[in-house]
Amino acid sequence: MSTSRTIQFTLNGRPATADIAANETIVDMLTNRFELRGARESCGQGLCGCCTVTVDGMAVSGCLSLAWFLDGKSVETVEALSKGGVLDPVQEAFIEAGAFQCGFCTPGFIMMVRQLLDAHPDPDEDEVRHYLTGNLCRCSAYPEIMDAVKLAAAKRKRASAA
Amino acid sequence: MSAITPPPFASRSLPRLEAREKVTGRIEYTHHLKLPGMLHGKIFRSTMPHAKIKSIDTTAAAALPGVYQVVTIDDIRKVIPNPYYGPAFHDQPILADGKVRFAGEPVAVVLAFDKKIAEEAAGLITAEYEELPAVFDEIEAMTAKVLVHDELKPAATFADLKYLKGKKGTNIALDYQLRRGDTEAAFARAEHVFEHTFRSQQVMHVPMEPFVSVADWQDGHLTLHTASQGPSFVRIEIARLLGLPENKVRVKVPYLGGGFGGKLYIKLEALVTALSMVAERPVKISLTMDEQFFMVTRHPCHFTIKSGLDASGKIIARHCEVIWNGGAYADIGPRVTQKAGFTSAGPYDIDNVTINSYAVYTNRPPCGALRGFGAPQTAWAYECHTDMIADALKMDRVEFRRKNMLREGRPQASGTPLRDAEIERAMDHVLDRMNWSAPFDRGSGNIKRGRGIGIGFKGITSPTTSVAIVNLNADGSCALYIGTVDMGQGSDTVMAQIAAQVLNLDPASIKVIHPDTDVTPYDMGTLGSRSTFHMGNAVRIAAEDAKQKIEVLARELGLPQGANLPLVDMMKQKYGMQAGNIIGTGTYLADYEKPDAQGQTTKGTPFWGVGAAGAEVEIDIETGAIKVTKLVNVADVGVALNPKAVQQQLSGAGIMQLGFTLTENMVFRDGQLTNGSLADYKIPTLLDMPKSFINEHVPNAYDAHGPFGAKGGGESTTIALSPAIGNAVADALGIRIYDLPITPEAIFRAMQEAKGAPLEEDA
Amino acid sequence: MAALEIAEPEKLDDAYTMLGTEEGSIRPMGGGTALMLMMKAQLFKPSKLVSLRKIEALTGFSLSVDASHIRIGAMTTFSELEQSPMIAQHLPVVTQTMKTLANVRVRNVATVGGNLAHGDPHLDLPPVWSALGASVRIVGVDGERVVPAEELFLGYYETVLAQGELIADISVPVRPGWRFFYAKVTTRAEHDWPALGLCVGVRAEGEVIADVSLVLSAAVDKPTRLKSAEAALRGVALSDAALAMAADAALAEVHIEGDGRGSAAYKQQLLRVHLGRAIKHVMQGSASA
Repeated sequence: MSTSRTIQFTLNGRPATADIAANETIVDMLTNRFELRGARESCGQGLCGCCTVTVDGMAVSGCLSLAWFLDGKSVETVEALSKGGVLDPVQEAFIEAGAFQCGFCTPGFIMMVRQLLDAHPDPDEDEVRHYLTGNLCRCSAYPEIMDAVKLAAAKRKRASAA
Repeated sequence: MSAITPPPFASRSLPRLEAREKVTGRIEYTHHLKLPGMLHGKIFRSTMPHAKIKSIDTTAAAALPGVYQVVTIDDIRKVIPNPYYGPAFHDQPILADGKVRFAGEPVAVVLAFDKKIAEEAAGLITAEYEELPAVFDEIEAMTAKVLVHDELKPAATFADLKYLKGKKGTNIALDYQLRRGDTEAAFARAEHVFEHTFRSQQVMHVPMEPFVSVADWQDGHLTLHTASQGPSFVRIEIARLLGLPENKVRVKVPYLGGGFGGKLYIKLEALVTALSMVAERPVKISLTMDEQFFMVTRHPCHFTIKSGLDASGKIIARHCEVIWNGGAYADIGPRVTQKAGFTSAGPYDIDNVTINSYAVYTNRPPCGALRGFGAPQTAWAYECHTDMIADALKMDRVEFRRKNMLREGRPQASGTPLRDAEIERAMDHVLDRMNWSAPFDRGSGNIKRGRGIGIGFKGITSPTTSVAIVNLNADGSCALYIGTVDMGQGSDTVMAQIAAQVLNLDPASIKVIHPDTDVTPYDMGTLGSRSTFHMGNAVRIAAEDAKQKIEVLARELGLPQGANLPLVDMMKQKYGMQAGNIIGTGTYLADYEKPDAQGQTTKGTPFWGVGAAGAEVEIDIETGAIKVTKLVNVADVGVALNPKAVQQQLSGAGIMQLGFTLTENMVFRDGQLTNGSLADYKIPTLLDMPKSFINEHVPNAYDAHGPFGAKGGGESTTIALSPAIGNAVADALGIRIYDLPITPEAIFRAMQEAKGAPLEEDA
Repeated sequence: MAALEIAEPEKLDDAYTMLGTEEGSIRPMGGGTALMLMMKAQLFKPSKLVSLRKIEALTGFSLSVDASHIRIGAMTTFSELEQSPMIAQHLPVVTQTMKTLANVRVRNVATVGGNLAHGDPHLDLPPVWSALGASVRIVGVDGERVVPAEELFLGYYETVLAQGELIADISVPVRPGWRFFYAKVTTRAEHDWPALGLCVGVRAEGEVIADVSLVLSAAVDKPTRLKSAEAALRGVALSDAALAMAADAALAEVHIEGDGRGSAAYKQQLLRVHLGRAIKHVMQGSASA
């Protein structure tokens, strides 16, 4: 029992170690100790989704989760999605559909859409709206985000068929 | 130069230049900035809406291990002797100075290397106040004995606000007046007179990147890194505060995570500057989402509109009494009051118009610019009023508009003629997309359906200046140096397209250098739909200047006409190696004529923003629950240089205004904000998006003065949307809602009122 | 958020020791969503959090051998329930409620036990458990006790749980012949905390409401069974008049407070309308259990 400890976990596929305080959130740790910018705190209440990361494959709000509990887990941020200049199909779809303006909420949306498509590879409109209602875009690129989800679903289907 | 020939860009929906950086999360925002040795500041805020500060106890905070320093106005005065700032009035102290004027006002700041320690320490500060009577309502403030400011201090920074005086001994910061014709005489001979009062609520911008600024003061010069829409103004105002020449203040702005008018003028910049001077270290303040509600908001507005009509249904007289609740500090409220006052009689051809528009101080959080500079609040009144008159005269709502509409070449109330403003075509486009002439399903059972339209326009802040530099490197690659801030609207991309069009380059190959006042030239600000028009023109001029210089060089080198030698070869010939630059510069200042004492001018706006909207609603008459099932937004943007970016602006502005119409409302009790977080202040989500949602620009429109026929469009669809919905509700129920937002309870109450069985209010 | 300690016991007994019995700043932590919000707002500054995530006894959920009830461990997450075909089959109202409950990320971490122990009257699941007739098994250093879900709540953020006591699991009866529906009524936006939460269960015999279970939340200070309204409906054939009488009875038996989501008078109207609609909805069999 203590106010700080060393955690070992996997971050975007690589082993990582961090000395963290018990009151440190995941987004604070990623920003301050790993210089990652993709997950960012905005509403601070888990409502906007800007800080979305996955822990063992499950999306969580990085601003409402303590880094303490990451020990032994695998964390993925938007930074993991593109490799060697090749984007994830969801990222490609966001560009092609023009699904963002200022871009601040975009990594969070992309992380959620990936989980959405994992759970529902061919979601209907109602499923998409409900699934993404915990992500806020004040530029309101919502119509284009709907387009991007459809496009990404098609891209993933093509990729898995190939 | 690269040999590609770009197609005419009017048809090019080029993706944003920075698209990849945005989807990979690597893009630069001030939010992420860290400087070596940087301190974090956390603000301790007032709990009183209006009070004298008797004492501030910072002992416990200062004693917390890890706290660097606790700063109050007394410390700031040592480095900035007159610590008051503002774009219209120098009325805002950097920290509360003996008095607080709204609940939430910054009183002290804790500095610490660890943000969490600063937060914890700020929670340990206490203050003792002597409460003063306060005024919150704009109508009360007009005549109240309670004065928010004992003294009014005009800033005289902007050309359009030079005449500001304020009314001594009152809360009135500005009374804007416009007089056209003889309104009284026209009312006297009018066949019909109608008068209605409408109110708009206080709302907030809610940028997803909350306000953030970093100041680094070193040896007599300052560098500010800030999420600002107006770096040039920040430099001028901070230089004034510090008594420094402009070249000692450097303001750098990367991408912004949204702005919407909030991140204009001075926000956190004066505070972090003072803190950096006090602490002699870099200082960063990042607001939380909840704190943003105390930074800047949109004016509540109280608008009484009165119209006189002749027997044929022609409007012959209009009187507008518009009162803007500006909160505790004027910010840019006087410009909102003036700009929106100017068009508050609506896009109608009326010979006799009187407009009085007042900015008043109250003990609420300050109000400033928000996507439309007040135009949406005025259109809420004048377009609901339009339907009410048409209904009362039993005239068709569309034909009534047509009969009275302001048309090309006719003088608007200010005397400025309408030019390149497609008001009627915007309306017709809406009607077409609404299938207006087809039969309409009015609902059944407990569901009633209705539909409505609205039209509106706005003037653009003037006179304002933009300066651009186009730099061609010796290899022919191009960089564009501009002060326009890309906050999501896509200005980098569109400005690159304009330069590319002139220089025959691939727009995606152009590098846009972000605002850095040591590097990029002056721009008045990224605001009020002005950038495409003003900066677009400056970029076009700069690119043409560069092109001309290339032609001069070609002649100098004795190249035959049409040789089309790549620039790199010309530069090698000229300088004996790959060296040198071609620098083109462009300055654009729109034509402007100062209004006379009656508010009359023939050149009041460089162009007209035009928007029209249509809405279909479904209302559950047992609960008042409302659904907007269809929403059509149409704007005249001149030529859409990047149609995709334009459409995003139109739909984004539309959804934002949908929030301001149905759900968003800052609720106060005794001057205390009761819902200052996104848990309780509800901005639209995907679930609030209408099932049928159409956003289009008027095809084949052209602004003769804009770059390649273009003009701004970032605000146009905010203007007419609220009244379109209000009119649809009235169409469904036969009941008029006068106050925004149109909540289910407001509708249900209005229905009960109409039945003569009013619903009981909470005690 | 202030500095704090975290402990992660693996055994219940250790948790009891760590939590102690003195009211104070030591708190058990399930998924932690609500706690984190309170800590970030500096509304609550615990000195120590005792995480329950490593205690196996609090995890898992299963149908009893006789298929008469489902045991749900306190540390079961909402997502686990949402994605369970067994829950969808036997407790479809729970699956239905999940769709509009907070958001996916919250459902991925929030736990059944933490949600109940929080005592916030605006939460969606407590009225559902109450209407279903679930019972809550509470364990502590002095042994265990079982409390009906509807008796867990004493008032606004108040429960019967004493310091050192933990919710171990809940037992939810599978009720053949009953149909349940949770009506989440929002007023400020489509997606919001409810102004009114209403869980309605009916056992119908043709057009007759043979038995009924009604629990109201959000508009009241704790999930509250509408006993008079139930009595008014029990054994009665469905009719608008019967529904109106039930609504009158409901309005007479609860005290509704106004807040930012609606005035008291407006919420009373919402209760009147949505009580009738929800009962019609389950009688028509659109939701089944």
